[in-house]
Amino acid sequence: MPGLKDIDKIKAQALAAIASASTQDDLNNISIKYLGRKGVITSILKSLKDLPIEQRKSVGAAANKIKVEIDQEIKSALNKFKISRVKAGIDPTLPGIARRLGAIHPITQVIDDMCRSFHGMGFAIERGPEVETDYYNFEALNFPPDHPARDMQDTFYVEGNDLVLRTHTTPVQARVLEKCKLPVKVITPGKTYRNEEISTRSYCVFHQVDGFLVDEGVTMADLKGVLVAFCRDFFGEGMSLRFRPSYFPFTEPSVEVDISCFLCRGKGCQLCKYSGWLEILGAGMIDPNVLKMADIDSEKYTGYAFGIGVERIAMLKYGINDIRLFYENDIRFIRQFI
Amino acid sequence: MQVPYSWIKELADIPWSAEELAERLTLSGAEAEVEELFEAGFENVCVGHIIELEPVEGSDHLKKAVVDSGDEHLQVICGAPNAAKGQKIVLAKVGATLKEGFKIKKAKLRGVESYGMICSEMELGMSEDHSGIIVLEDDAEIGKPALDYFGLDDPVIKLDLTPNRPDMLSAIGVARDSACLAGTKLKRPEFKLEESAEKASDYINISIDDPDACPRYAARIIRNIKIGPSPWWIKRKLLLCGIRPISNIVDITNLVMMEYGHPLHAFDYDLFKNKEILVRRAHEGEKFTTLDSKEHELDPRVLLITDGEKGVAAAGVMGGLDTEVTEKTRNILLESAYFDSITIRKSRQKLGMTSESSIRFEKGADPNVVPAAIDRAAYLMQKYAGGEVLSGIVDCYPKRMDPIRITLRPERVNSFLGTEISKDRIVKILTDLEYGVEDKGTLEVLAPTHAPDVTREVDLIEEIIRIEGYDSIPFVERNSGPLVAVTRKDDELRSEIRRVMTSQGFDEAYSSGLADTDLLAKVMGNGQPQLKILNPIAEDLSVMQSSVIYSLLKSVSHNISRRNVNLCLFELGRGFLPGDPPQENEQLGLIITGASDSDWFTKPRNFNFYDLKGAIDVLVTGCRNPVPEFKYADRIPYMNGMSFDLKFEDRPAAGHAGMIDPEIAKAFDIKQPVFAALLDFETMLNMRNDDIQFRNLPRFPASPKDMAIVVDDDIQAGDIMKEIIKAGGKLLEEVKLFDLYRGKQVPEGKKSLAFAMVYRSDKGSLKSKEVIKLHSNIAEHLKKCFNAEIRES
Ligand SMILES: [Zn+2]
Repeated sequence: MPGLKDIDKIKAQALAAIASASTQDDLNNISIKYLGRKGVITSILKSLKDLPIEQRKSVGAAANKIKVEIDQEIKSALNKFKISRVKAGIDPTLPGIARRLGAIHPITQVIDDMCRSFHGMGFAIERGPEVETDYYNFEALNFPPDHPARDMQDTFYVEGNDLVLRTHTTPVQARVLEKCKLPVKVITPGKTYRNEEISTRSYCVFHQVDGFLVDEGVTMADLKGVLVAFCRDFFGEGMSLRFRPSYFPFTEPSVEVDISCFLCRGKGCQLCKYSGWLEILGAGMIDPNVLKMADIDSEKYTGYAFGIGVERIAMLKYGINDIRLFYENDIRFIRQFI
Repeated sequence: MQVPYSWIKELADIPWSAEELAERLTLSGAEAEVEELFEAGFENVCVGHIIELEPVEGSDHLKKAVVDSGDEHLQVICGAPNAAKGQKIVLAKVGATLKEGFKIKKAKLRGVESYGMICSEMELGMSEDHSGIIVLEDDAEIGKPALDYFGLDDPVIKLDLTPNRPDMLSAIGVARDSACLAGTKLKRPEFKLEESAEKASDYINISIDDPDACPRYAARIIRNIKIGPSPWWIKRKLLLCGIRPISNIVDITNLVMMEYGHPLHAFDYDLFKNKEILVRRAHEGEKFTTLDSKEHELDPRVLLITDGEKGVAAAGVMGGLDTEVTEKTRNILLESAYFDSITIRKSRQKLGMTSESSIRFEKGADPNVVPAAIDRAAYLMQKYAGGEVLSGIVDCYPKRMDPIRITLRPERVNSFLGTEISKDRIVKILTDLEYGVEDKGTLEVLAPTHAPDVTREVDLIEEIIRIEGYDSIPFVERNSGPLVAVTRKDDELRSEIRRVMTSQGFDEAYSSGLADTDLLAKVMGNGQPQLKILNPIAEDLSVMQSSVIYSLLKSVSHNISRRNVNLCLFELGRGFLPGDPPQENEQLGLIITGASDSDWFTKPRNFNFYDLKGAIDVLVTGCRNPVPEFKYADRIPYMNGMSFDLKFEDRPAAGHAGMIDPEIAKAFDIKQPVFAALLDFETMLNMRNDDIQFRNLPRFPASPKDMAIVVDDDIQAGDIMKEIIKAGGKLLEEVKLFDLYRGKQVPEGKKSLAFAMVYRSDKGSLKSKEVIKLHSNIAEHLKKCFNAEIRES
């Protein structure tokens, strides 16, 4: 049975709770706990009948007294809340005052993601000139002069000594192979140029991330391995990958690489033209002629190379339907990729 | 390149549907698709029977026919002279849409209603012939869909070939791969040619001036042919290959080209002045008219087939008009030759035309299929044009090209690919692809001349794996080569720049780097060098930009035209200048225009020069560069007095900044103030402090003290700061300008500047006496240097 001491204790607890309440809800809960129909004080008053008669009066009076005190204390605390809010003038739903963040262009983002992935696998990054010599852009990559394969690259020619705007970043491979120590493992991100009619699907400029590895005993299975690893990192787990034969003068054999469509998971949809596959890059084993031109023994050393079109991947990834948007720099476009 | 599925089936036993075949061809190196070529043009077109035919009153040629279409009798008006009662014909009913979108509707001619059309070959897209209607065999089944009747419902395999696969430019080539994939044998066409006693060599003499350009030239003489239409089976194949039938002789040369992949040409032999063939280079300025009636002025790039004097054909590209086969032609000279690919490439570039023939020679034809192709064509001409084939091929082959011998090591195949393909399997694949294979431990392989791109072991490896399937290559996950790559300093700096600029609210821009020459001259100054593109895509993209300010102004212009008028942009790009080699500099451009961000608390404010300078200050700090000095300069494209060079100490300018001259902005359709800066990336990289060293935190308290001075308005704050630092010496830890005032409180032509100094020693706490002394030393120095009036210190 509660005595007077207990009543003092209850009062102390209640006042402490009120003092530390930080919201109106807290105070409401305190009110229910002590003064509610099943509250602490109510139940004391209900149990008075079980006390010896001499105690009933004193305990009853004390309980009623603290009931009034606690009630008043809660009311005044609630009041304080209302006053302090008005005084501080804070409306937390007003927008904060901040400087807007700028957006990194989606092309940078895709290139950075790719580089991060390959860098993690030990690929170093190399860059080269965008105005390139015919030798590095074509000849050193096994495009003989007047070869029909040159028609596949719609080339811009530049005034000067046999100069072109590079049609791919693979010339950096030729430059690196010429002077590097083997083994070598490099990716070459950068801007490339194609003399193509400008449309929603093609632009005179695009970006590439090319990569290659030359070492002893490199096989096409290694190429598959590294591309599977990249696709898992870049597109997520659960992708399947397919090699389709193709042709590039600087690789033999050459393949186009498809991944299972990440939108429909291979079932067929508009994005993959109902094939279930998306073409994402070209690859192959470095042609022995390319190694020979860099004075590398193509019997001892083999290598693979691959090239990824950045805009194409960005368009697939973000569902962008017009390649020209990348180069107009409309801030309403760029800021979508913040 | 397209070829009907049924033709492949004739030449190879394959268990697959057209779609399955296309899928397999795609996965073995020839991107293939299936198309129903004629389906669209043949809807509502069927076999009909003319059961009544009478003239239309008031017309001299129109006739009113009643046609039985199988389920109804239709009245159709027809104007063809060859229409007759009882004929089986092709009826296009109301609702049909013929080639080129021609729709059949209910019509009224001379007051008579017509419910369809009786078709000629032209309306069905079969030929140019519309001289009369098509008359079908008597046993044609009335009501049968015409597509079905003609056998044009055949699916067509369309191939998108890479340049290394000239062997697939023929039905036999596609069948060879198909048979190999199916593990069956290729079935070449079989025929028996009968020759007459007279020798062809008595009628034609062949000589070749340039055997490198024309290693082989062969001819046959076929006499007494009768020009006429080809039989339907030939027409059908050609139609499905996308070639319009013309006449039996021309059709047969085209058919054999599609079959063997080897271009042939038929000349009217009687139109030869001399009975000889001389293959030579064209003379400079020599005139020649091709079959399409175009006159060309030639030069030695063009290889010419002549009759000893005049050109009769541009070798491998197109025949001449003068010796064209016509209705009158009786005697034929049939050419089957092999021309060098680069010669044909240059020749067709000079002539400005391509043909089915030039495509094949340019990609690489087969010199050793020459006799088979000419025999096949001669056989068909004999059979379908009634020709008499003279005895023998006149074959001039001065530069023999034999199959190439290649040694193939089966273990190299597997160590190169990472596979486990057995030697037997390798032999089987190569044999099925018609390679000669001899097993001597290693394999001695003879690469047939139909695959001119296969010359090395690695080429054979490709042939094997494309048939075996790339799926048979496993995924190997292992790390070959270096395990780790060092991050380059320049890449670190690029990331830093992007991080700092975006955190300051700048958006990143990208540009093509191609520029308009006049507009670029506005940004760089007239007469400044520009790197020209020799074959520009458009006139306004004809030079390389020398400054990213150009492309940033373009981006600003584009945004303003879209009503995005408040802009902070940056671009990391390259600027180009002509030279040997041309210069290529990486640059960072910044541009701001319009007003700053505003919200319910912050009022909008137009950007000014100090916003740009502040952005540069934060940028260089964030990239661990020293803060550059802004030195007055007079540089295009900035406005006079608002143009500065950015200098790090005594080095050459690291860049420039200022307000774009409004006249230049106007050239970009920009009418609001624009502030821009350009920094040289290389300099930023060189100036970057990448050796951070810890310094001990100060142990003794700092003594802050302010000073306000009044000076002449034209004195620069930076100069005053420099002198303060000089006079303050080692004990002056920091000085900061915190107020600038011009107005009533100071005399006209003067300004008040307030500086906050912080003094500190690392030896002990400074006494207030010492601080006062230092402070007054500085004040004295400023009085002396700038005639400064000290207001408060
Ligand atoms: Zn899909």
